[in-house]
Amino acid sequence: MITFNYLASFFLIVLGIYTIVVKYNLVKTVIGMCIMDYGVNLLIISVGFNPGGTAPIFTEGELTAASYFVDPIPQALTLTSIVIGACVTAMTLALVIKLEESYETLDTREIRRLRG
Amino acid sequence: MSIFSYQHFPVYAIMVLFLGAFLIAAIGRKAPVRHCLAVLASGASLAFMIALIQPVMLGGEIIAYWMGNRVPAGGYAIGIALEVDALGLFFGLVVTLALFASVIYSIRYMAHDDNQEQYYILLLVLIGGVLGLILSGDMFNMYIMVEIMTISAVALTAFRHKVFGALEAAFKYMVVGGIGSTCILAGVIILYAQAHTLNFAQLAALIPGNLNTATKVAFALLFIGFSTKAFIVPFHPLAADAHGAAPASISLLISGVLTKSGVYGLIRLTYVLFQTMNLGTMQFWLVFIGSVSMFVCVTMALAQHDFKRLLAFHSISQIGYVLSAVGLCTAMGISSGLYHAMNHTLFKGLLFLAAGAVLHETGTTDLDKLGGLSKKMPHTTVLFLIGAASISGIPPFNGFASKWMVYQATYMKAVESGNIGFLLVTIIALVTSTLTLASFVKVTQSVFFGQLPKEYENVKEVPFGMRLAMGILALLCVLTGLFPGLVTTYLTEPATRAVFNAGGYINAMMGSGYAESVMGANAPAAQAVNFAEVGVWSPISWLCILMIALLAICIVALSSKYDRVSENQGAKVEGKYDLFFGGERSVYSQVGGDDLFWGFKHNWRHYFGFMHELHSGVVNDYALWAVVALALALLYAMIVL
Amino acid sequence: MSLVMDAIKYLVYILVFPGFLFCFLSGLLLCGIDRKIVARMQKRVGPPVLQPFYDFFKLCGKETIVPAAASRTTFLLAPLVGLAALVVIQLFIPVFNFSAFSGVADIIVILYLLLIPALSIIMGGAASGSPYAGVGLSREMVTIISVELPLVLVLLAVGKVVGNAMGTGLCFSLTQIVAWQAEHGSLIATPSMIVAAIAMLMVIPGETGNHPFDAAEAETEICEGMLAEYSGAPLGVYKLSHAVKMLTMTSLFVALFLGGIGGGIDRMLLSWGLTGGAAGVIAVLIGIVVLFVLCAIITIISISLIHAATARLRIEQIFKYYWTVVTGLAVISLVLAWYGM
Repeated sequence: MITFNYLASFFLIVLGIYTIVVKYNLVKTVIGMCIMDYGVNLLIISVGFNPGGTAPIFTEGELTAASYFVDPIPQALTLTSIVIGACVTAMTLALVIKLEESYETLDTREIRRLRG
Repeated sequence: MSIFSYQHFPVYAIMVLFLGAFLIAAIGRKAPVRHCLAVLASGASLAFMIALIQPVMLGGEIIAYWMGNRVPAGGYAIGIALEVDALGLFFGLVVTLALFASVIYSIRYMAHDDNQEQYYILLLVLIGGVLGLILSGDMFNMYIMVEIMTISAVALTAFRHKVFGALEAAFKYMVVGGIGSTCILAGVIILYAQAHTLNFAQLAALIPGNLNTATKVAFALLFIGFSTKAFIVPFHPLAADAHGAAPASISLLISGVLTKSGVYGLIRLTYVLFQTMNLGTMQFWLVFIGSVSMFVCVTMALAQHDFKRLLAFHSISQIGYVLSAVGLCTAMGISSGLYHAMNHTLFKGLLFLAAGAVLHETGTTDLDKLGGLSKKMPHTTVLFLIGAASISGIPPFNGFASKWMVYQATYMKAVESGNIGFLLVTIIALVTSTLTLASFVKVTQSVFFGQLPKEYENVKEVPFGMRLAMGILALLCVLTGLFPGLVTTYLTEPATRAVFNAGGYINAMMGSGYAESVMGANAPAAQAVNFAEVGVWSPISWLCILMIALLAICIVALSSKYDRVSENQGAKVEGKYDLFFGGERSVYSQVGGDDLFWGFKHNWRHYFGFMHELHSGVVNDYALWAVVALALALLYAMIVL
Repeated sequence: MSLVMDAIKYLVYILVFPGFLFCFLSGLLLCGIDRKIVARMQKRVGPPVLQPFYDFFKLCGKETIVPAAASRTTFLLAPLVGLAALVVIQLFIPVFNFSAFSGVADIIVILYLLLIPALSIIMGGAASGSPYAGVGLSREMVTIISVELPLVLVLLAVGKVVGNAMGTGLCFSLTQIVAWQAEHGSLIATPSMIVAAIAMLMVIPGETGNHPFDAAEAETEICEGMLAEYSGAPLGVYKLSHAVKMLTMTSLFVALFLGGIGGGIDRMLLSWGLTGGAAGVIAVLIGIVVLFVLCAIITIISISLIHAATARLRIEQIFKYYWTVVTGLAVISLVLAWYGM
């Protein structure tokens, strides 16, 4: 079951990289970055998964040695990572808008004033 | 623990930067307030770092600081930690110093831009991120700081979005930098899955003895992640684009600080976290990447005709020196690498600021359009020449002192290991140094000397504030070159010891004896580092040259007719003080930056043509390079580690 | 008291020997010999051997014109810095048993200091604002790049051979290299060093900018390039620097490959029954004479002969020549040295 998660996250990461490398549209590049991020997020959340574990929510005194729950740290990390991913996407999209304004194209092959 | 205790200083140094950024957002509408806040925040951060020299560098203490005092319980580090050893402090000092110079310079340099509040906020956040990365003792925090750093650096690159190519550069940086950040995140997570901790010290204790496929993958991912931050080959086109398009004060930080954070990450990763540096192949790999960066980037720089883009390629070339030296895994190698890293921040910062001064006054950095500015901007010219001499390694400036140590280190390594390959590195380094000199001759000729174009007749010297920032860096360039003994004793030697002291790093954070209990016999003891062979260039020859030059000047000034000759005075003969044009009427005939060194380029035309085609400027290509590098790194980690 | 003595000693080193006076006299004399020999080979009478001295003093008496377009300070200071650097190099090069300074790794210092004279002429030319200087400095820089690689390789090979013999693995100290030769005989007898010496002989005219490698100062096409705007004393200083550089490079050759002669002088004095302080002084005096004669011979071989026999090369030919032929020789010598031959 959890293996499927790992495979899926691997697939998403590779798909994201593939999109970045192969697609010449700026927006698609951004989409590729997002997909790559989602793949990593899926990986993080899968890492903390314990089959049959409960939600890691306890009040004072409830936590005993017998408590069996999923690892809470990756969940916190995923949240952070999602927030950062959103920032990156917003930032990149803002750049794409500006690029479209000044270059009047979304084709990466034409956005290459800096080269050589 | 009193709140004034130096134990708190690391976190203060980071906090003041973010606090400064917040305050500028809140009350920084007025320019004087804004400038005061920025200078105060950066100055305070620098002061905190300097105050730590005493306990950390000289006392050899390793400061482990747990946020909220959540110390490890039951052998597991749950809290978030900062850890400052001599290596971290060394980079921290370099970073905060560069920030301070950049802020002073920005006050006048950015005076005509819009949205200055955002500029200063991003500036402080950027360095807050870098400092956080360097002082952090927690892998996930490292990742967050990397992202903060990357995002603010991208925003600052595009800050002058009307500038030619700024948006494009920012976008490429974002995409490939994003791949790098994602690699770091994935690597961190895989390590967490294996060791169930994010604490750097605990990971360093658990990972090296238990290498498996997953941790090897993590190593490759982290390696590529930090490589993108250091912009080494094959990520150098990003650096060139970003440095060239950003405002000069930001180019200083990207080149002087961001690349250093990548180098710091690589050192921590290879020496402390995985402790793989005793592998010959690992050394070979780092040195190989370093040498390739060194050479490829210097030849790329020769083909440039934009001032800042040229500087950007040189920046990576110098990082190549650092990486090659660090990869040698000898005391001398690391010591010289760190020394060169510091010097690189100083002289490259100076050069970028000089380029910014030219841009500020003339509005262009195109080498083919500029010329003859030395008469209009004499101070900037002198400061630039100091920087150029430093980077080309002309004695007595600091570049010579550190490069000299790099040559010795590589040669010693070749002799010790009997591997003629390391000798090749010495030769590449020496040739690269000459090529560096060549391209700075080109800049000097095309920008500051030669003929002054008509449209720059009214150019003035830059304001004092900008010259002050350049002056500070120039002074440090000279001082660190004249007193290499002091620099090695007080800065690089403690840092080198720290590099070799992974065990101490672990124990300082997890409690004494932790490394031994977890790693058993494999625990990395603090290695005795032999500095006896670390030769330091004694600048006595420079003192002599100075003396001789003074004597010569006196003799010649007394004996010749210098004093009676002054420009245009008594110019009875028409054209006496004009340039010689073979008897023709004088015309404007500056030799453009592109035409210099034709003889060299002609022989290498196939190489230059190939490289020009290769650096196509299409972001997909650069992303592909990153993926290929990642694939190679994975392959390497699987086979060798 | 000893501080004063040291200061006086170093002052004498700098001003008299092996500093200014020695450089001045023997450099210009070498230049005169070179001119005479070349003239004779070309069936001309040629100038008197002392002609460079006359030229120098005459130039010093002439008016110095600073072009209006030039950056005055750099323009006037550049020649002096170059000359000073050459004198400093001369201080680092031991004369058989005598050396003014001995550094740990003075070979690299010398390598870098050798860049400064070339750099000074480049800076001076750039500061003059002349377009001829622009072309000239471009060629000068390419010449530097061309020569640098074989020179580095030769120096590394020498360092390796001596280091091997001394058991330290490498030796970057010229003083030690010379001292070792005085004890064990000149390096030129080693196979790898013969190749290195040939490469070095080819490097010398390139480094000094002599014919046929003088594209940077080609007077017939670019009016002496960087010197186009110079006149009076600064021009004289440049001419002097050129002469001193010939001395520097040839005496470097002597130190690297013929240092064994110092041992010979010592043994000769010993067989005459001379010991103590007097012997030391006599040894140095003999050393100076021998050094000068050797320098003159090497100048004739590596500079004059080639000068008389060849036509000027184009700049890209210079580059090609150095990075193929000379570098090839140097690599061979380095590989031989690495395997202990």
